[in-house]
Amino acid sequence: MSWFDPAGVTWTYASRRLIAARLLIGIVPVAVLGAAVGAAAWLLGAHPAASVGCGLAVVAWWAWVVIRQVTAHGWVERQDDLMVKRGRIFRRVTVVPYGRMQYVEVNAGPVARAFSLARVQLHTASPGTDAHLSGVLTEEAARLRDRLTARGEARLAGL
Amino acid sequence: MTSHPFAPREEWTRLHIVTPLLLGGKVVGVFVAIALAQGGQGGLFAAKSAPAWVPLAGIMIAIVVALAIAFGEWWMNQFRVDDDAVHQRKGILFRQYRQARLDRLQAVDVVQPLLARVFGFAEVKIDVAGGKASSVRLQYLRLDDAEALRNEIVALAAGVGRAHAGVPAATASSLEHAGLAPSGERLDAPVSLAPVSQAPVSQAPVLEAPVLQQPVRRAPVVAAPQREVYAVPPGRLLGSIVASWWTLMIVGFVVIAIVVVVVLGAVAVEKVAGDAVSGGGGIAGFFGGSAYGVISGLFAFFAIGWARFSSGFGFTAAISADGIRLQHGLLDTRRQTVPPGRVQAVQLHQPLPWRHFDWWRITINVAGYQDEEQAETTLLPVGPRRDALYALWLVLPDLGDPDPAGTVSAALSGVGADNGFTATPRRAWLVDPWQWRRRGVLATGRALLIRHGLFARHLTVVPHEKTQSLSIRQGPLQRLLSLATVEVHSTKGSISPVARHLGLADAVALVDAQADRAREARGRQSPEQWMATVQQ
Repeated sequence: MSWFDPAGVTWTYASRRLIAARLLIGIVPVAVLGAAVGAAAWLLGAHPAASVGCGLAVVAWWAWVVIRQVTAHGWVERQDDLMVKRGRIFRRVTVVPYGRMQYVEVNAGPVARAFSLARVQLHTASPGTDAHLSGVLTEEAARLRDRLTARGEARLAGL
Repeated sequence: MTSHPFAPREEWTRLHIVTPLLLGGKVVGVFVAIALAQGGQGGLFAAKSAPAWVPLAGIMIAIVVALAIAFGEWWMNQFRVDDDAVHQRKGILFRQYRQARLDRLQAVDVVQPLLARVFGFAEVKIDVAGGKASSVRLQYLRLDDAEALRNEIVALAAGVGRAHAGVPAATASSLEHAGLAPSGERLDAPVSLAPVSQAPVSQAPVLEAPVLQQPVRRAPVVAAPQREVYAVPPGRLLGSIVASWWTLMIVGFVVIAIVVVVVLGAVAVEKVAGDAVSGGGGIAGFFGGSAYGVISGLFAFFAIGWARFSSGFGFTAAISADGIRLQHGLLDTRRQTVPPGRVQAVQLHQPLPWRHFDWWRITINVAGYQDEEQAETTLLPVGPRRDALYALWLVLPDLGDPDPAGTVSAALSGVGADNGFTATPRRAWLVDPWQWRRRGVLATGRALLIRHGLFARHLTVVPHEKTQSLSIRQGPLQRLLSLATVEVHSTKGSISPVARHLGLADAVALVDAQADRAREARGRQSPEQWMATVQQ
């Protein structure tokens, strides 16, 4: 975790509510998948209990991945740029200078709203900039958007 | 305000009246073709079907309707240039209003498709930084008018008009001052403006304002003087197309086809001795089939080669106060003007068959250009190393390196840690067995150089002030080997600068240092109005 945690940086992590939101959104398709895996195991002659175990294992593995992903996602507002990190197995840290932000977008779907969460997306002139903050509390998202926009305007540079 | 030569056209202007004919020419051609085919049929089946004039009349009506729509669209399509933007409004049912802000101008192209070129017309395409299809396209104008408009837009965007509202004659001397005008040669900056703009300046209710039927012939804004930097002779262009993977593949394909035909033909001939009738048919069918394959392959090859050849034909690049001027095209021609500081990234590329000649192709990322337009984003279709260095110099006059030519040369063909490059460590061969030795990055004072490609060599150059954002990523294998990949995000285009498989410590240091360098470079970035500072 060394290069993930530069010295003197305090990360703000995504809200744990995001875990519940993601689990809620994904549970139906994953449950179907788990059932299919269990059924396949049963048809291949596995013990019924083992088949159920297989199905549950799929669901559990997925839930574990979601939890690991959400707990790995964080960001930090530095003096001149915003740093976003995400991912456990494939890790990525993106540095977006405030002066490069073209606009900031906040969106929230119905499930996210139920958990009063929002997603803050930063856009630069590059399509490669993959900087979005998931699992931001709604009121914090509004503050973050205003703060980022203000900093962007203060430091805005031409293309 | 209207006394200086760069006074904008305040009034809405229509494009040339020939536009609907040029744009609808293809449609009309299709109709005429159908009419001819129908006419022929009518002749053949005259006795059975309706009289010959019925389909003809239908076709005529269709043509008239199509032309009426085309003329309606032309009537509604108007543009206006003022101090800040080029405005365009068009559309009959769905009105569209577009403005290209001049301080966001990225490039201005004068494009002549073949049909328009035959009749001496051209399209002006104004690219601004924006999403897909955000450019303003004015088609068509007379070539002179198009070029005058291009010069005017570029001059306005440069801030020439603004800085010199009262002193137009100083333009030429200021260009000389900038070291770009050939000394002694004097520009005839037009001092008098044709009095076209008598309308009141306040034109808020634009719908009531008079619309000019034709672009008014006015004292043209003279293009800034230019110096040719390099040109691509047709012979070299042809050679570069022949010396390509495609050729090798086609030659291999033809050889294999011939061998197969000969072998199987021989087998078939033996068969003919036994069974003359079916064997003869088999041979004919076989030869027919293989010939079909060869011919379709050749067609594909020629189509690709032709596209390269026709877009790169007569390629010349020049430097002027307005930036880089590119001119190229065999049938369709394109004259591009890319103002200074608009190029976001440069890539030098050398396919393996070109290595013997040390030829390079250079492409650029410009914010306004879409990446699918290969004709637009080529800075040098093919050229020796000397031209490649010139081309790079066009984009980045100052590389921020004591020995730019040596450094770039080393970057083009070097491996490992030559010339201060941060190379990919040896352990990376496990994830990148071919290229690891070539991979490396070097930050000069003004740009980041990323080198990769073992057989086909690549060098990507990103000016520090054009770095949008950075990221560093690491997959599971890279983590085992303590490697990481650094991405530099450039604007939309064919070039995406990535330095793969750097040592982890190097990658982290690179991202940190690059963030600092980019911030510093943004601070001293040249202004959007590139002439405004020169003239003060």
